[in-house]
Amino acid sequence: MRIFIFALQTALRSLWHEKWINLLTVLSISIGLLILSAFMTITLNIDFVLKRWSKDFGLVVYMNDGLSKDSEDALKNIFEKDPDVEGIKYIPKEQALQELRLALGLNSSILEGFENNPLPSSFELSLKREALKPELVERKAEQIKQMNGVEDVEYGEKWLSSLNTLSGVLKIGSLFLGSAVFIAIVFVTYSTIKIFFYRRKDEIETLKLLGATRSFIRLPFLLEGLLIGVLGGAASSLVLYGLYAFVIHKAPDYLPSVSAIMLYLPLKVYVPAPLAGAVTGFLGSFIAVGKIRY
Amino acid sequence: MIQFTNVSKFYDEDVVLKDISFTIEKGELAYITGPSGAGKTTLLKLIYCAERPDQGQIVVAHWDVGKLKQGTIPYLRRNVGIVFQDFRLLSNKTVFDNVALALRIHDMPPKEIKEKVSAVLKEVKISHKANTFPPHLSGGEQQRVVIARAMVSKPTVLLADEPTGNLDAETSKTITDLFKEINARGTTVLIATHNDALFHGTGRRVFHLRDNCIEKETIE
Ligand SMILES: Nc1ncnc2c1ncn2[C@@H]1O[C@H](COP(=O)(O)OP(=O)(O)OP(=O)(O)O)[C@@H](O)[C@H]1O
Ligand SMILES: [Mg+2]
Repeated sequence: MRIFIFALQTALRSLWHEKWINLLTVLSISIGLLILSAFMTITLNIDFVLKRWSKDFGLVVYMNDGLSKDSEDALKNIFEKDPDVEGIKYIPKEQALQELRLALGLNSSILEGFENNPLPSSFELSLKREALKPELVERKAEQIKQMNGVEDVEYGEKWLSSLNTLSGVLKIGSLFLGSAVFIAIVFVTYSTIKIFFYRRKDEIETLKLLGATRSFIRLPFLLEGLLIGVLGGAASSLVLYGLYAFVIHKAPDYLPSVSAIMLYLPLKVYVPAPLAGAVTGFLGSFIAVGKIRY
Repeated sequence: MIQFTNVSKFYDEDVVLKDISFTIEKGELAYITGPSGAGKTTLLKLIYCAERPDQGQIVVAHWDVGKLKQGTIPYLRRNVGIVFQDFRLLSNKTVFDNVALALRIHDMPPKEIKEKVSAVLKEVKISHKANTFPPHLSGGEQQRVVIARAMVSKPTVLLADEPTGNLDAETSKTITDLFKEINARGTTVLIATHNDALFHGTGRRVFHLRDNCIEKETIE
């Protein structure tokens, strides 16, 4: 414990003593992490939007006109047993007409021309999130269409597939960008700590001769790398927060749709950057210090 | 306490020590002498495992030094205080901190470190320079700081490499007295020097190194 405190003091002193190199390193790390966080924020928001829409997303099953109550119940029964179906909503033709009237508002008078209700009764099926893959949904729609008493099945196929593709691309992009930033930060801390290590080579040599253990020698460098990483991460989170607040305040003036999309930025978005900085900083300094031989 | 059995050491092709055997008992104070380049420093380095023997066996306390694992070396060195020929003081740390470093690596409470360092600085009569940085000290003063650092952790063995290298006769005397005192407290002391005056009339064993061998062992 005392060794830890002593190492921390040494690390803090070195952090202060070499403040310009350290500042540069912290800046590089924060820029890397900022790019990554920004990218992830966008991904997260798109994913969020996707989720929200998918909740409303459903298959609308239109039934043949004049289908008997028994046949309707039979269909309902089938849907209830389907593991992919989350919710079922029955919309009788009267209600459909009612809704259409409401939707048309003042123009609803055009409906007066119909003698009978032209709208079919329908089921609205909402699907589980896992089942919302374009090819699965398509197959399901196809299946339902074959059923007795089903006139037609409708769903937003274009939307679904393009959103899914976008989300997939972004996820892969995050992965690639994440790896690149990860490697870059490890490298940046590696070179910084390596410089410090060489500068203190004499001191390390003396410590070894006095009987210092390897962990005693390593710890200050590891802590310094860790601190640099955390500082870089915290800086990037701060900037991200600032940017986000700015966008939320200003963007709706120019781009009203942005506020609807950019709503989602929970606290957990700010935690990974310092954490990632800590891990990568630690790793970089660990590699820099390397194997200590007596 | 220190036992060499048929030890040889080469630097690349050059032989430095050849077939060296000797034993230094627990609590003894002994000297190694010989001309410059005879291998005195190398012999001491073998004891604290800064060099490994190419042949033979070295036993220090209960450690077989030649076969020591990397992870064990620090524990050997904590029991061996070393007065380096080139001092190895850290110029960016004060005298106090230089000496304290030998205790910090032991995970000792700061209060205890402070007491012990103050006491040892007083003993080597350098207390008044506790907050000075080594480059601002004279050679003799630096020498005393190095001795203080070597003895502060109360090692079982103390190795001194040319401890009076460039000191006047009077200062040399105070430093040899210091070693006698440390030895009187039970520490085994081995001093390497080419200064005959240091061991004349001490009645201690002296090993004479010449041509890579222990040429003779005398009692002065
Ligand atoms: N690391 C090394 N690599 C190669 N040769 C070395 C090394 N260290 C010492 N030597 C050689 O080994 C021989 C013995 O050196 P050593 O330092 O042990 O002598 P010494 O007796 O301590 O001399 P001095 O009285 O000048 O301190 C010398 O010839 C030296 O050049
Ligand atoms: Mg020498």
